[in-house]
Amino acid sequence: MDHILSILIFFPAIAGLLGFLIDRQSIKPYVIAVASMEFILSLYLWFLFDSNQIGMQFVEQGNLISAFGVQYLIGLDGISLFLVVLSTFMTLIGVISVADDTDDLRELLLTLLFLEMTMVGVFVALDAILFYLFWELSLVPMLYIIGAWGGEKRIYASIKFFLYTFSGSLIMLVGMLYMAYLYYQASGTWSFSLLEWYRLQLPLDYQLWLFSAFFIGLAVKVPMFPFHTWLPYAHGQAPTVGSVILAAILLKMGAYGFIRFSLPLYPDATVYFLTPIAILSIIMIIYTAMVAYAQKDIKQLVAYSSISHMGVVILGTFALNPEGITGSIFLMISHGIVSGALFLLVGVIYDRRHTKMMDQFGGLASVMPRYALIFGIMAMASVGLPLTIGFVGEFLSLAGFYKYSHIMTILATSAVVVGAIYMLSAYKKAFFGKITNPENSKLQDLNVREYFSLVPLAILVVVLGVYPKPILEPIDNSVKTVISLMHQKAVTEEAKKIIPNIKMNLGEEEK
Amino acid sequence: MGSMIISLEHYLLLSSILFFIGLYGVIVRKNLLMLFFATEIMLNAVNVGLVAISNYYGDLTGQMFAFFIIAIAASEVAIGLGLLVIWFKRHNTVDLDSLQSMKG
Amino acid sequence: MSFNINEFIDTKTLLYVALFSPLVSSLFAGIYGASPKKINVGVISSLLIFLSFLASVGLFLHLYFGGSVVNVMMMDWISAGDLKVPFGFVADHVSVTMMLVVTLVSTVVHFYSIGYMEKDKGFNRFFSYLSAFVFSMMFLVMSDNFLGLFIGWEGVGLCSWLLIGFWYEKESATWAANEAFIMNRIADLGMLIGIFMIYWTMGTLQYDEVFAKISSVPVDVVTMIAIFLFIGAMGKSAQFPLHTWLADAMEGPTPVSALIHAATMVTAGVYLVIRANEIFSLVPEVGFFIASLGAFVALFAATMALVNRDIKRVIAYSTLSQLGYMFVAGGLGAYWIALFHLVTHAFFKALLFLGAGNVMHAMEDELNIMKMGGLRKVMLGTAILMLIASVALSGIYPFAGFFSKDKILEVAFDTQHYILWGTLWLTAGLTAFYSFRVVMLVFFGSSRYKDFGIHPHEAHGFMLWAMTPLAVLAIVAGLFEHQFVEFVTKILPAYSFSEQIHETIGQLVIVTTSIAVTGIVIAVFSNMFREGLFSNAFRGNFFYKLLDNQYYIPKIYDEVFSKPYRELSELFWKSIDLKIVDATVDGIGKCLLSTGENTREMQSGNLSLMLRWMTIGLTILLLSAIGYTYADSILTLLQQGVAH
Repeated sequence: MDHILSILIFFPAIAGLLGFLIDRQSIKPYVIAVASMEFILSLYLWFLFDSNQIGMQFVEQGNLISAFGVQYLIGLDGISLFLVVLSTFMTLIGVISVADDTDDLRELLLTLLFLEMTMVGVFVALDAILFYLFWELSLVPMLYIIGAWGGEKRIYASIKFFLYTFSGSLIMLVGMLYMAYLYYQASGTWSFSLLEWYRLQLPLDYQLWLFSAFFIGLAVKVPMFPFHTWLPYAHGQAPTVGSVILAAILLKMGAYGFIRFSLPLYPDATVYFLTPIAILSIIMIIYTAMVAYAQKDIKQLVAYSSISHMGVVILGTFALNPEGITGSIFLMISHGIVSGALFLLVGVIYDRRHTKMMDQFGGLASVMPRYALIFGIMAMASVGLPLTIGFVGEFLSLAGFYKYSHIMTILATSAVVVGAIYMLSAYKKAFFGKITNPENSKLQDLNVREYFSLVPLAILVVVLGVYPKPILEPIDNSVKTVISLMHQKAVTEEAKKIIPNIKMNLGEEEK
Repeated sequence: MGSMIISLEHYLLLSSILFFIGLYGVIVRKNLLMLFFATEIMLNAVNVGLVAISNYYGDLTGQMFAFFIIAIAASEVAIGLGLLVIWFKRHNTVDLDSLQSMKG
Repeated sequence: MSFNINEFIDTKTLLYVALFSPLVSSLFAGIYGASPKKINVGVISSLLIFLSFLASVGLFLHLYFGGSVVNVMMMDWISAGDLKVPFGFVADHVSVTMMLVVTLVSTVVHFYSIGYMEKDKGFNRFFSYLSAFVFSMMFLVMSDNFLGLFIGWEGVGLCSWLLIGFWYEKESATWAANEAFIMNRIADLGMLIGIFMIYWTMGTLQYDEVFAKISSVPVDVVTMIAIFLFIGAMGKSAQFPLHTWLADAMEGPTPVSALIHAATMVTAGVYLVIRANEIFSLVPEVGFFIASLGAFVALFAATMALVNRDIKRVIAYSTLSQLGYMFVAGGLGAYWIALFHLVTHAFFKALLFLGAGNVMHAMEDELNIMKMGGLRKVMLGTAILMLIASVALSGIYPFAGFFSKDKILEVAFDTQHYILWGTLWLTAGLTAFYSFRVVMLVFFGSSRYKDFGIHPHEAHGFMLWAMTPLAVLAIVAGLFEHQFVEFVTKILPAYSFSEQIHETIGQLVIVTTSIAVTGIVIAVFSNMFREGLFSNAFRGNFFYKLLDNQYYIPKIYDEVFSKPYRELSELFWKSIDLKIVDATVDGIGKCLLSTGENTREMQSGNLSLMLRWMTIGLTILLLSAIGYTYADSILTLLQQGVAH
């Protein structure tokens, strides 16, 4: 399997094109089969992955625009591996969760396959232009999903989503072009290859500008406060499967970009901006959690809770030590699973009652006990209860950041309190109490399709909460590589001091 | 009556005044015919300036340019008036606003 | 006598059995969670807990007869960077003591619940939750590292949430469940910070490594660690100011109150202080703070218990008060005494709660003690059991409470903290009074319940039998003080009393016992002759109102924290998020849009308009060209103008 990554990227897209030949009745089994094969392929990738090897694996290289050094360069390390697996897994779950009687079912499912291509592409691209290409391409299917299958204000939401993230990314593109120009000046050849860029040591003032340019593009995607307002609309209007993919994977691209680009390319700027970014993260954590508490629409609540959790992710990323960054990547994965599941769960009740307002419910625990159980598990994972998947990442991220700042970590750790407040009060409103609304008294519990999409997630939540090692270990090794690279490249004393010096034999990578 | 020497400044002043009169006409007038007149005034304002400076420096190039401009203006008016007559025949008006077909 | 349990069974197996049979029990009952009541679920689940108890006994015997501490490293859990946390368990003298208490009380409560919950439609679900709680609690006490302790810590919090809100259709129950969880989470924040500190100063979270390194850590860091860990303990053990959840938690089924909110979970805080005694003993200032807070809570809670008319709430406040006692002992460095009181308290308090459960059942879920009275005639068994528990709680010789509580008072006296001693002494009197006030109002006097048309009946025989072991222990546990000391001080520091205390000890005992007896006598006589101490006139009194409203603390919390939080959240959402942050973004968009709207006329194709714009553009270009060319001279001119 020399081209496993290319196959992984383009298989869903090609299968998607072929899908137009399939008739409407058999489209769902077809797409499920494609998504399953893709998922199995990504598992096989995990199996092939050697977690002891330093640097990128399965690297493929080819020229796209040789005059400007734009390459088809893809590869994978422990950081991207699990995001790829998460993408294929959540796409499969999303495809399963789509109801058979959806309008334009074929278009929706095939759009999901195209989306899958862009997601996998983003996580394995090692060339900046290639990365940017997939990054922007991912907007198109999502725009289509929200705009075509969304709720009442879907046009507003989808345009806002597109324009907001697009204008942020454009600034990032300028940063990429300038970075390539700097590389050209330093080495005499054009290159957009990240691996080449990693070797470039920049003075602080250049780093600051470039970091800022990347920051805007990435921060909008994460989304960081105050660039977050597109998210509640996008989630509020998107169909269930759109929200699932958006929360589970698209948001992770931003945080992934920080780890892949900003941190190793601009270590000094990272340290320079550490405190303001940490403050933004803390605002994200507390402020959006409080906003979530004020929500009446349960889907908006989950959307805001996503922002709050992403705050912890960013904080962990900027801890700049292996504990924090490993934790933040793990938290991305766990948040992907948990928020995906929560959106699916909201979709379940929306399908039955066509409302997402919490005051319409109450007492659901007695009519839908299994639904209540799975929702409870996910709520607890979201709150970060130990032995669920949510705890590991949250704990590591916060523990990592504690090394940098005690006071800020104490503030950020209040995530465990504010998170519990909105989650439990929402759970209470929806599930506890007597059934007051007669429409709720005859609701069906989960059906087979919903079981198939939710139970695997629930199992993962517990299994990975108890035994996160198979995932933590490869991530940890790759993170250490990134950090030692940062330490080596740092030019300021400040950065050298804050970024720990991890002894790793980096020389082997270049041989 | 004291003898008053007409200096370069006076010619240039006249040229500027004529130019601004023409410019005013271009901005304000809506009748195409009037627009032509205004343009002619502006062209001739430039001619006055060119001739005056040419005389001042004793260089004939400026006057040569003035002749060129007169020639071009004449041909321009000939073509322009021709178009204008056709337009008038079609639309029964030479108002500028009638030329507009875009919505903007 | 020599005895080696290893001859029969591997101690590691015992440890696993003790830990995991509650989990098996929980999962087993959980499978039947949504199906109708099956009596077998209750029985099998109880037997599995009993099995866990037997395994704990096995481990106890192993240690008691000189066996070595059992350490088990099950598997890795989290490892990232330098942080390595395994699932590791330890059965040493302290944890085995806790295991014995937890499994014993759990077994009793499980069997009792078969009768108590017999008519409840959530019977199977109840056993699933209850066993899950036991598993979490065992995890908490058996873990060999701080993060493992935290797993159990949060696990019991979850189970407590599930069980308080067990009757989820009741608004008050679910509210109390959320309150308990959130308040505990606030404390957990402190605990997490404490764990972060331990990790970054010592690079490990294993107890033995931390305790080995702690003495080389600067004192101010140790102080901070101790403070943050204690904040965690304050939440679980419901110490002021995080105490309000405990009384509200009485919304849960009574066996839950007995197990979780009296005997086990709430003592987790005390357990933490005992377990981390190496840390706390390095910073006596923090210890003194803990002791002072403990003494304050002891008195504070006892006063609230004086006037309350809800039988379960009175017992809950008494639990709070007794936890205060334990913290006094722990804070003053007498760790084994704290543990001793924890153990005896677990027995008699669980007994008291289960008795209260019988009364509640008999009274058709009526909790107001003013509506009871004379119940001894119909439920003599329960009356005797509760009387035993109350005597033990009051600290009358030779009941268990006497030995442990008296020791705490002696420690306070011995360390010359006379104010603490005085507070505890006074509390001892109040404790005796309110315990007997309840007993008198419930079991003696006229049968007021008849006015409300209630027909009380005694509980099932097996429920009473299930309670008997606790009753026996409540009577005799104190007599094993010597063996207990010998056992636990193998790893806990022995507290040695000073010389002069030996002379005054007799007088101290008499002084303490006399106030307890006085309390009892007042309670008994006032109830016998006047039907309650508090006449109607007294009820208008300011102090009565203050106590009756729990010092207005729940109201204050509601006004100061809950409501502002809710309002602030609304404000953040509606005013800031929608009106400022989002409106700014939309504003930028609208700005661009209106620019387009306003300038579209430029492109209308109207020739005269275009000519005008052309003129304007030309003028601007011309002017800027001139300005740019002569910029220097213009600037000089301006400077000259300024100079003049």
